[in-house]
Amino acid sequence: MSTMQRAKALGRSARKAGRPRGRAFALPGLVAGSLAGSLAGTLAGLPARAEGFDWKRYDGQTINLVLTNHPWSNAIRDMGQQFTDKTGIKLRIEILNEDPQRARLNTLLQAKSSDIDVFVSLKIREGAVYNKAGWYADVAPMLKDPAQTAPEFRIEDFGAGLIRNETFGGKLTGLPINVEGPLFYWRKDIFAKCNVAVPDSLEDILEAARTIKACDPSINAWAARGVRNAVPYPMAAFVFNSGGGFKSVDGTKPGLCRPESVAGLTLYTDLLKDFGPVGATNHSFPQVVELLGQGKVAMTHESSNEFSNIMKYPGREDDLGVKVLPKGRASGVSQPIGFGWGLSISEYSRRKGPSWTFLQWATSPEVQAVLVDRGVAPSRNSVFTGEGMRAWASQKPVRQQWVDAVSEISRRGTGDYASPTDRVPETREIIGRAAQEVVLGQKTPQQAACDADAALLKLQ
Amino acid sequence: MSTIAGEALAVAPERVRSGQQKISFSWMVWPAVAFVVLMMVFPLVYAAWISLQDASLGTEPRFVGIENYLNLASDPEFLNAFRVTWVLYGAALALQLALGTWLGIVLNGVRVARHLVRTIAITPFMMPPVVVGMMAIVLLDPSVGIVNWLLGTVGVPPLLWLASPRWVLLSVALVDTWQWAPFVGLIVLGGLQSLPASVFEAAEVDGVIGWRRFVYVTLPLLGPTLLTAAVLRSVDLLRFFDLVFIATRGGPGNASTTMNMYAYQQGFEFSRFGHASAAMLTLSAVVLCTVMVFARLRRAVSY
Repeated sequence: MSTMQRAKALGRSARKAGRPRGRAFALPGLVAGSLAGSLAGTLAGLPARAEGFDWKRYDGQTINLVLTNHPWSNAIRDMGQQFTDKTGIKLRIEILNEDPQRARLNTLLQAKSSDIDVFVSLKIREGAVYNKAGWYADVAPMLKDPAQTAPEFRIEDFGAGLIRNETFGGKLTGLPINVEGPLFYWRKDIFAKCNVAVPDSLEDILEAARTIKACDPSINAWAARGVRNAVPYPMAAFVFNSGGGFKSVDGTKPGLCRPESVAGLTLYTDLLKDFGPVGATNHSFPQVVELLGQGKVAMTHESSNEFSNIMKYPGREDDLGVKVLPKGRASGVSQPIGFGWGLSISEYSRRKGPSWTFLQWATSPEVQAVLVDRGVAPSRNSVFTGEGMRAWASQKPVRQQWVDAVSEISRRGTGDYASPTDRVPETREIIGRAAQEVVLGQKTPQQAACDADAALLKLQ
Repeated sequence: MSTIAGEALAVAPERVRSGQQKISFSWMVWPAVAFVVLMMVFPLVYAAWISLQDASLGTEPRFVGIENYLNLASDPEFLNAFRVTWVLYGAALALQLALGTWLGIVLNGVRVARHLVRTIAITPFMMPPVVVGMMAIVLLDPSVGIVNWLLGTVGVPPLLWLASPRWVLLSVALVDTWQWAPFVGLIVLGGLQSLPASVFEAAEVDGVIGWRRFVYVTLPLLGPTLLTAAVLRSVDLLRFFDLVFIATRGGPGNASTTMNMYAYQQGFEFSRFGHASAAMLTLSAVVLCTVMVFARLRRAVSY
């Protein structure tokens, strides 16, 4: 076997082991490769080419992705072949609902399994705990390495707040893939028929619901999530805009029992109880979207992500309006919820190189521009203000409203709507239960909120 | 012949004494033993070990003795899950045994297209629980479900079904009964076909027919069969999870949070592995005790 043949063979075996092609040579091969490169460069009268970024560097490798059921994941699955064509890296994609996905991560990553290379997670929810468990690989070193990162990849293009959400103690645990938050959707035709003005303040929503219920009892004036752990997401802005919060004023204790917070809880639960569909406590986004899409609901506060799904229903593109939840009249506060899902590489992955290549492609401006059509709001500013986005939004007024609203939540939104603890999933459960208890008439808002605070305090 | 047999008998004890037979068979048992140790004993012991630790995601496990079990005993959520599990178990088991017995008798009496009827009857329990859960949502959701829509067409106001803390357990028990009563029916059918015809003929001669024959002859004779069905269903019902997970998520509130659901939530959603292991082992003990009670009962009613 000649030196060159040996070098090629070593390169092949290294690729099989998941190491990058360009750096995979063992010492003899490396020397031989360098000599060959130098020789070729000298012969051509040029200096040897410095190693640069190459999309095909990990050609032939396969990475495993564990994603959640989300418009982004479904779109990426459909576009996966484009990535393989560009890089030669094959994708094995598993899409699960949120809870089973978390269970899967728990099972595999707790066992330090290398079966998962890339996964999505909601950093504002589970990021702190996953980071503590050591599941996230730090992508910052790869980002700084010109051999690993495409020159056109600009990290500063991402929303600053979104990158902040991905960073724990200086460690960059992933890249934001989208921006999302609950938005206020209303039926323009029903509002016009019932002669109701579009709510300018939070308190107006209740008035509008009363008028619509009297005007057209055949439809539900309101719908929103009622399932325990799904409630805090749409309810948080009600609490904030009422002047309250989920922490005490000094930020050291739970704050749902504060009078302003109780006012937000009361408004949310009153709407659900008095103007919502029957059995709303079992509803999450599928039911809300279904009811709104079918034209059975006049108003809702539902995720910006569901926009594309809602628009699939006939007529909704023309009769719906969408904006950020109005500010509280009494408080003057407008604090929308806004955050992004993050795409991360497992610390235990043996294919971090190809995984990082995937992260770059999946968050590139080109891919994000395509994803807009699938209802995924981009995490890159350049895509938000780009020509493609403008052209898409100009086709329908509701699209422009959606772009404006999502842009606003990406600028002003917060993802911090839990009491002061790392055990965020449990806070969601407790806060959601308080709302359910009020809707079911088991407790008054004051009782439910104060009981919830007592339970939340135990998590600290 | 007698000489050869005598010689063989004389030699056999010698072989046994030399240990040849013992050695040749005992090594064959080891794969099975290894499998049991690896797949059953080890996970159980490991779970027991975890249950004695304060083990959560992102923290170093710390030995706490029986603290997790004491926490369970004082946790109102767990006590509620314990109650929910037994209420659901009682309602579903009673419904399934009653309907299953009736179905078994009906299937036993079918003479036309017997195989087709039996195949159709067993279809529900061949369905994956996830599908059944989704069907329950589609049918019973108070707002978008078909059942309320149908009731509405005849003027009945919408019922809450899975969304009512009061009715959710009965609704879940009904859905589970729809799926599993045919399974009980199939066991009862097998039991009926193995009963001696002479007993029924004697009963008929004595004028014991109809309902009285069912109560005084058929049912007592079916006792062991029904207890077998009860054991099989008990194991499933006490571990109730999938249908609740899909259809209600343990709600509304915690009205349908079973012990299994509670343990799942603690383990996989809240990452409290020690606490979850303690809950799962408690549930395992409950299942084991229940099965032992039924096993004793079965011995008592055997004829």
